[in-house]
Amino acid sequence: MRVIVVGAGEVGFHLARRLSEEHQDVVIIEADPERAEIATQKLDVQTIVGNGASISILDRASVRNAQMLLAVTSADEVNLTACLAAKRMGVPYTVARISNPDYYEEDSVLSSDQVGIDLMVNPERECAREAFQLLQSIAFTEVAEFAGGRVQLVGLKVLEGAPVAGQSIGRLRAQFLPTGYHYVTAAIVRENQTIIPKADTTIEVGDRLYLLAPTSEIDKIPPLAGYDRFKLRRVMIAGGSLEGQYIAELLAQHGIECTILDHNRRRCIELAEKLPKTLVLHADATDLEQLEMEGVSGIDGFVSATGSDETNLLSSLLAKQAGARKVLSLVHKFQYLKLESTAGVDSSLSPRISTVNAILRRIRRGRVMTVASLSGIEAEAIEFVVSPESRIAGQALRDVDFPKNGVIGIILRGNEIILPRGEDILNPGDDVIVFATPDAIPTVEALFG
Amino acid sequence: MSLKKVANVAGLLQIFVACSMFLTGLVAVLYGDSDANAFFLAGSMTLVLGGGTYLSTRFDDEVTLREGFAIVTMAWVTTAIFGSLPYIFSGVVDSPVPALFESMSGFTTTGATVFSDIEALPHGILLWRSMTHWIGGMGIIVLVIAVLPYLGIGGMQLFRAEVSGPAPERLRPRITQTAKLLWLVYFGMTAAIGLLYLLGGMSSFDAINHAFSTVATGGFSTKNTSFAEMSSFIQWVTIIFMYIGGVNYALHFRAITGDMRYLQDEEWKFFTIVLVSAAGIVTTLNFLAGDAVGEQVIRDGIFQVLAITTTTGYVSADYDLWGPGARMVLFALFFFGGMAGSTSGGVKALRVMLLLKQAANELRKHLHPRAILVTRIGGNPIKEEVAARVVGFLMLYLILCMAGALALAMTGIEPLTAISGSIASVGNVGPSFAGLGPTDNYGWMSEPGLGVLTFLMLVGRLEIYTVLLLFHPELWKSRKAYH
Repeated sequence: MRVIVVGAGEVGFHLARRLSEEHQDVVIIEADPERAEIATQKLDVQTIVGNGASISILDRASVRNAQMLLAVTSADEVNLTACLAAKRMGVPYTVARISNPDYYEEDSVLSSDQVGIDLMVNPERECAREAFQLLQSIAFTEVAEFAGGRVQLVGLKVLEGAPVAGQSIGRLRAQFLPTGYHYVTAAIVRENQTIIPKADTTIEVGDRLYLLAPTSEIDKIPPLAGYDRFKLRRVMIAGGSLEGQYIAELLAQHGIECTILDHNRRRCIELAEKLPKTLVLHADATDLEQLEMEGVSGIDGFVSATGSDETNLLSSLLAKQAGARKVLSLVHKFQYLKLESTAGVDSSLSPRISTVNAILRRIRRGRVMTVASLSGIEAEAIEFVVSPESRIAGQALRDVDFPKNGVIGIILRGNEIILPRGEDILNPGDDVIVFATPDAIPTVEALFG
Repeated sequence: MSLKKVANVAGLLQIFVACSMFLTGLVAVLYGDSDANAFFLAGSMTLVLGGGTYLSTRFDDEVTLREGFAIVTMAWVTTAIFGSLPYIFSGVVDSPVPALFESMSGFTTTGATVFSDIEALPHGILLWRSMTHWIGGMGIIVLVIAVLPYLGIGGMQLFRAEVSGPAPERLRPRITQTAKLLWLVYFGMTAAIGLLYLLGGMSSFDAINHAFSTVATGGFSTKNTSFAEMSSFIQWVTIIFMYIGGVNYALHFRAITGDMRYLQDEEWKFFTIVLVSAAGIVTTLNFLAGDAVGEQVIRDGIFQVLAITTTTGYVSADYDLWGPGARMVLFALFFFGGMAGSTSGGVKALRVMLLLKQAANELRKHLHPRAILVTRIGGNPIKEEVAARVVGFLMLYLILCMAGALALAMTGIEPLTAISGSIASVGNVGPSFAGLGPTDNYGWMSEPGLGVLTFLMLVGRLEIYTVLLLFHPELWKSRKAYH
């Protein structure tokens, strides 16, 4: 499949890398020659230097043969124009990254069939949605959705005294099987090492578990890892960025009390006008006295969402120390993403990664439907469709020669969600969520090919 | 500041005033009354002076914001002065001051009268009183804008200075169209009320007079007892139309064009809730005070609550005889007024609502000293400047009421009567309490007292700022006026 990616910023670059790894033919259009050069050197893609909204440049990228165009520059207008032009030139599926809320609406006329933007992705909104999901649970440090939200992949740390600590995967399975077990252990991260667990792998305190589970069962997981009951009632957002504003909107929609603060008075007035149900404070995100006066100690959720990574980390640390239960931090620089867990922040969010994931999650490309890459782990969850030609079809799972660094997580058959056992057989048409480290992915793909 | 422009618009308006005088004169001739000549004389004088001024002061440049205030105020003053001529010429009053009071009370739709025996007045004078209500109800400037587009952009400045409420809205892109539409709705409502009154058994003369008075939420009646002796049908019709007159005309206009928005309008909800609860309280208190249980006590309660809140000032029952609780509710309503953009006076529901929300925010601010709180009306944030202006408005309104009462007391009027008269005039209500109660009139008052009230009615009708600005020295400085 030929995919054109307009813009080789961080979002475009990561999208191109992911798609090229999935064996798609990727053409990048980038206006900045230096960025284009970096992409050419690091990725197996074709690059064209120029404006992605220009018809002649799109022609040079032979847009007429492309199945998909992803316009992900930081300029909304360029993205919109590129998509509209591409659609006219016959591209079946177009995706635009849109930040300006004036352009971005859920049911915008622009996304109708006639005009032709098939998917609009708003980085700030995607990030806010992810933050909202993470706030829902004190335990989860990462959340990714599959199968239209019916299945979730969550990451969480095993606490002291957790029921699962010290037990092997096999014993846990045997123990839970009679009452119906709720999850599949997809991976364990121990001392920065990713382990794809086998039946004899033992879970230890301090491990970070990655579990796949039906969304309806997800609430049963945190107690197993030693977490208390948690209900999100009150949230404080430090920083009135767009992300912060959207998180506040989501919280208000769900009736959760929310306070947002910003050091810029004008922005505060703007926020107060836009957020009728949110308490807006004119205060500094790192002013502990102010945070404490507004009740940060013992607050259920705290999100640092200023535009500065350094301020966010500092503010999160202060909040954690003051006793905030769940602390999230917005991180813009990719390098800082590794820092979070040691710094005491419960999880970090990157608007750009959220965007990449949001796009990859929603575009169907051949057998691969959804991919989630998580920031704290060297493995990926991929949703495959089983075709009649797939080698894996028709065999009992225990007989399949599945790579050691991969695991079949969940099988979706129609409306049924199956947590697989050895005797299960994959049928053509099944969706399968596989969790695998990068080295195992080609083998897995071959099985489904 | 160009006095030429001020004189020009004021002059132009007098041409309309003169025409209405001639029209009234014709009716007077029809009834064979003695006052017909007074109208033709007043009409000719007004026409010559007004028309002459208008023709000799033509201008082509734009009206500025500052000039707008002066134009509107002076237009109202001159209209009231010329409008008093028929009273003087016909000899129904013996000096110009009560004549001016009656004229101002008419144009500002206050409905306070100096006549004790209204039924003894000739038909022409009675019609003229109602006519002044009708002209003043929608606003004389709005009339000019509707008919003559020559004011151009400047028309908006005038429109703002005259139309009630903190932020008048345009229903159409062009100000002339907006003014025309407002008059169209107004005209249609007048016709509807007149027909219903005829149906209720009023004579055609009374029907026209009361239709003019009701639609303008004025208060002049052709009967000595106002509405006390009217049938219950006519009283209910009046209740309904006083209510309609107290609602923002923009909402009516939208409803007519098929866009019902009453229920979405927060001010409407607030206004209606206040009315319903006030009427409920008053009626309940009257029941408890031993009034006969029946339709009449309910009707009287609703009628008086509406007559005062919409600042119409009709009287169906002597509310000054009601219990202290009921009277206190009515007293509070003297300040309340109708909705912004209606023909009523008072502080206006919108401003009251805004002030209440503002006060609640101030309270909350004590809990969160660094909170940025925004006052909202109908979900829309209200800018701080607007909110501050409303606070200033209320302050000036109260000061004006107190200053007026003080001035009246200086002329030897009892304090309670002075206060009642002052708030009833600033709010353009008309009848009040004590010596100015529903069965009394203003005829006994001294000329200085009437002068004070005439001024208060004008300031109240033009919502304080427009008139008071004329007394601000900076308005008269010759610095280039800003738009």
